[in-house]
Amino acid sequence: MSELVIKNLNVSIGDRPILKDFSLTIPKGEVHALMGPNGTGKSTLAKALSGHEDYEITSGEVLLDGENIVGMEADGISRSGLFMAFQYPSEIPGVTIANFIRAALTARLEEGQNFSAPAYYKELYQHMDELKIDRSFTSRAVNEGFSGGEKKRCEILQMAMLKPKYAVMDETDSGLDIDALRIVAEGVNRMRGPDLGVLVITHYQRLLDYIVPDKVHVMWDGRIVKTGGPELARELESRGYDWVKEELAEPVA
Amino acid sequence: MTTTIESTESETLRIGDAAVFEQRQQQFGMAGDWFAALQIENWKRYLELPRPTRVSEKWRFANIRFLDELENFCVAPLRAVDEPSLLERSERLSKVSGRLTFVDDNLAAPRTMSPELESKGVIFATLVDALARYPDLVKKHFMKHSPDLGSDKYEALHVALLRNGVFVYVPKGVVVEDPFIVNYWNQADDVAIFPHTTVVCEDDAKVTVLEFQESLNPDAAGLVIANAHMIAGDRAQPTHDIVQNWNRKTLSFQLNTNTVGAETNARGLIINLGSRQARQEVHGRILGSNSNVEMYSLNVPRGEQEFDQRTLQTHVAPKSRSDLLYKNALSDDTRTIFSGLIIVEPDAQQTDAYQKNNNLMLSESAEANSLPGLEIGANDVKCSHGATSGRIDESELFYFLARGIPKHKAQELMVFGFF
Amino acid sequence: MSKTETPDLNIERDVGNFHYDTTYEFDAGVGLSEATIDYIADVKGEDEWVREFRKKALKVFNDKPLPTHWASRDLENIDYTKIRYYLSKGQRPSRSWDEVPDEIKETFERLGIPEKERAYLAGVEAQFDSEASYSNMKEELSKQGVIFVGSTEGLKEHPEIFRKWFGKVIPIGDNKFSALNSAVFSGGSFIYVPPGVKVKQPLQAYFRINAENFGQFERTLIIADEGAEITYMEGCTAPKFETSTLHSAVVELVALKGAKIQYITVQNWSENVFNLVTKRGLAMEGAEVKWIDCNIGSRLTMKYPGVIMRGEGARGEVLSIALAHDNQHQDTGAKMIHAASNTTSNIISKSISIGQGRATYRGVVAMPKHLKNCKNNTECDALLINTNSRTDTYPAITVRGNRNTVQHEASVSKVSAEQIFYMMQRGLSEGEAMSLSVNGFVNDLIREFPMEYSVELKRLIDLEMEGSVG
Repeated sequence: MSELVIKNLNVSIGDRPILKDFSLTIPKGEVHALMGPNGTGKSTLAKALSGHEDYEITSGEVLLDGENIVGMEADGISRSGLFMAFQYPSEIPGVTIANFIRAALTARLEEGQNFSAPAYYKELYQHMDELKIDRSFTSRAVNEGFSGGEKKRCEILQMAMLKPKYAVMDETDSGLDIDALRIVAEGVNRMRGPDLGVLVITHYQRLLDYIVPDKVHVMWDGRIVKTGGPELARELESRGYDWVKEELAEPVA
Repeated sequence: MTTTIESTESETLRIGDAAVFEQRQQQFGMAGDWFAALQIENWKRYLELPRPTRVSEKWRFANIRFLDELENFCVAPLRAVDEPSLLERSERLSKVSGRLTFVDDNLAAPRTMSPELESKGVIFATLVDALARYPDLVKKHFMKHSPDLGSDKYEALHVALLRNGVFVYVPKGVVVEDPFIVNYWNQADDVAIFPHTTVVCEDDAKVTVLEFQESLNPDAAGLVIANAHMIAGDRAQPTHDIVQNWNRKTLSFQLNTNTVGAETNARGLIINLGSRQARQEVHGRILGSNSNVEMYSLNVPRGEQEFDQRTLQTHVAPKSRSDLLYKNALSDDTRTIFSGLIIVEPDAQQTDAYQKNNNLMLSESAEANSLPGLEIGANDVKCSHGATSGRIDESELFYFLARGIPKHKAQELMVFGFF
Repeated sequence: MSKTETPDLNIERDVGNFHYDTTYEFDAGVGLSEATIDYIADVKGEDEWVREFRKKALKVFNDKPLPTHWASRDLENIDYTKIRYYLSKGQRPSRSWDEVPDEIKETFERLGIPEKERAYLAGVEAQFDSEASYSNMKEELSKQGVIFVGSTEGLKEHPEIFRKWFGKVIPIGDNKFSALNSAVFSGGSFIYVPPGVKVKQPLQAYFRINAENFGQFERTLIIADEGAEITYMEGCTAPKFETSTLHSAVVELVALKGAKIQYITVQNWSENVFNLVTKRGLAMEGAEVKWIDCNIGSRLTMKYPGVIMRGEGARGEVLSIALAHDNQHQDTGAKMIHAASNTTSNIISKSISIGQGRATYRGVVAMPKHLKNCKNNTECDALLINTNSRTDTYPAITVRGNRNTVQHEASVSKVSAEQIFYMMQRGLSEGEAMSLSVNGFVNDLIREFPMEYSVELKRLIDLEMEGSVG
């Protein structure tokens, strides 16, 4: 039961099918990497899992610890325990990071539960220090005017504060220099443990040097075509994606 | 093809005289019953409509006293034009598709027109000719749009008393590369003229019309009530530029509409140099999607000139763009009024509409009034307007001076830079 | 999720939606005539010049046409013959809450006024229909010579201070509604701050309409003498009635040399109130007048706070937030008249239109004479929530001469669907996400309000807007 199960998922954008009978299981406590060339449907998977209305799930199931989240609104999916670290996080003018995360936490309170501001700030500052985010950022508007690296660190900060059961990291390494990459990876590694399952979506193997996955999946044309250990990522790095293409018996136009 | 012009000795009446309209009809009745009926209707409308007052919103900030003078002007007499310098002065640009030149509403020279375009069905004719030869086409497009910005009364007067003008028609898919040139001159003292230009650019067609408005006599007081209408089909590319340079004793109106379909690229430019007082109204209406309409104006008032410009950008269809930029460089005791409004109708989602009025103040007593307005009824739009009034940057000026450029020359260069 | 569906708003406009049956000792009856004015003047025991001022104003009111050639035609729906122009239990406010009649005291307790007074206010005046029921100021301020009274008392007992400026910043004939107020005004605050006195905590007035078919016409005049400083706050509520209610105030501010006046309004009238208010400040040499204006309630608000900068170096500022939802038209703005050199003005206006709500900005910036070094900066930002929400912007700018600078910018935006999705992915409901975005949009202005007010304001603007992303 403690796993994220994606079963025969079919997703379309408009009339165009993108994911084709996509299946993947991530047990809690494991980190899986999903790799593949551009345009193969990796980001579509991320958006569809998080309930974006432009991505239509035509069939299939997504079971989060046994509960089917297909058809739920994005906020319900989030509160069920799925966190999405976005490739391009939105800017929210005028809303400070502190207020934003606080609002997200407040939305998770059970009736009768109270929000403790001192405990909140203590934890927030601790995570910010670990992620090397200046404390003054608490009063800055979410992602507004942030550099690429600041945005990604802010995503990891939110993940740390919201404590999801499963996290999907969509191209978190894109646009990061090596220092920022290390900080982000360390942040994720600190959260690794028996209570968290992670899906790292990436185009390059680089991030996987820092976040070492338990399993690596290769995606091609809307589904997983190959699964292996960390060595698969290195193989992809050295040989490119073409050999996967060749291995596939299907004719490629 | 051109009408014969004969001198008449008959008495010319003033606009304010009761018999002026009937006399006008007798002398210049143009082809077509519908046209006569339209003129009669507009004369009635002119008489009925109230004169704008000081509190009329559409005349806010305007000095409206000049409206009292309008009825003192005479309608232009019919006469042969004999001004040897005129044609030379009207010969602007060498590569043109055709030329029409008028003096005081009289055709002043034979029309010129590219025979090749003529064979493709392009019409570039006087309004009188067009009414006689293409009555249905003229009827379809003539005065079908109104700027609706406050000068209804004077628009009605224009229609009632106009007696010639220009009709341009470019059929579907025809591209006219070189511009058509229209010259409107005024000459006689105390005379009112009513220049009219209608440009129809059908689907996939392209045309440029350049209109020059000037005075032969620098000291003759004149009244000009001009209209220009541009009607553009889908994917059409019309351009209509006007250079207004009437003498400093002329009162002028320029009432324009630009109506465009889908995927159109339309441009209207007005450069204002002349007139004692100029009132201009331009209404851009975008009826189709993915169109781009540009409305520009450059204005250099001097002395005691007043330029009063009112504009409307109406977005009826979604996903189109309009861009308006009006720039004034004000010297001496001049006044400018820019009053613009962007209307985004509720269905016009994904509109991009911009409106900007910049004023460069060059003297202590020049006055710039700006009324940049927005009425937005759809939420998925990009709309902005801006208005600035400022002076020449002293440090920039100093830079010029430090390079040995005299102050007046430096100012001139900087005004040029402002445009 | 319908894109045109009217969002379910839970703005806390219901805070004021309650009503007590009250018997009034004084009632001028229904309709407006000279007899109404005589009744008011008699009850108040006013001097003859005040009575004459009122009668002159009535004539101006009757003669002036409605400004519908530029303003909303909704104004035509006000029936002046059905309104009661004066209702009170008495003319003298109590200095202690214990002496306030029970139902009035309960009203203000429910609105939290006595509590706020204890917490952070220098003085409070609480007006119930036509007259203040309670008025009190901290003793130390009285000792410093600060005067804080109602309009009747101000004109009767301190004419040497107030008569000089009364009706001078906003003359009777300024507009039809300033004339109406001048004819039947009652209540409001008359404040005088002596030279050099800086009142640290704000003075607060609370305006409450309790009666149906009623018109409230308070009149406020604040004079800050040379170098004085004062912050004044006003709040207002009314129960929601089926019939329309009229609120038409006149507020005049006079900031003498080097003085500072800050005037804060949080307008939360119920949706049946026509709120037609004239507010203007006069800033002398080196003085500053700042209006912070927040409009959330009412059916139609027309209000354009202004500053006339008459002395060199004077400053004027208007910070304005308007929230318009279905059946509301917030027609607000600012007027900045630069009448001296080296004067500076700043206007920031933010409006939010929800559902079929309509927010309109009208502005006047004028630098009419031969002045130098005058500066104005104007920013108008409109946020449209639904596809059919509406906003208008009508500024009018006049600049004369080449030694002044004016800049006006306006923008229109919406909350993007991607932004809402991002927030929902963090677990916020669509309504919470929208509410947070809207708060973010006005956040920089809300910071300008005093702390206690900004907390209240945020709560007030906290929208619950399920299904409103458009």
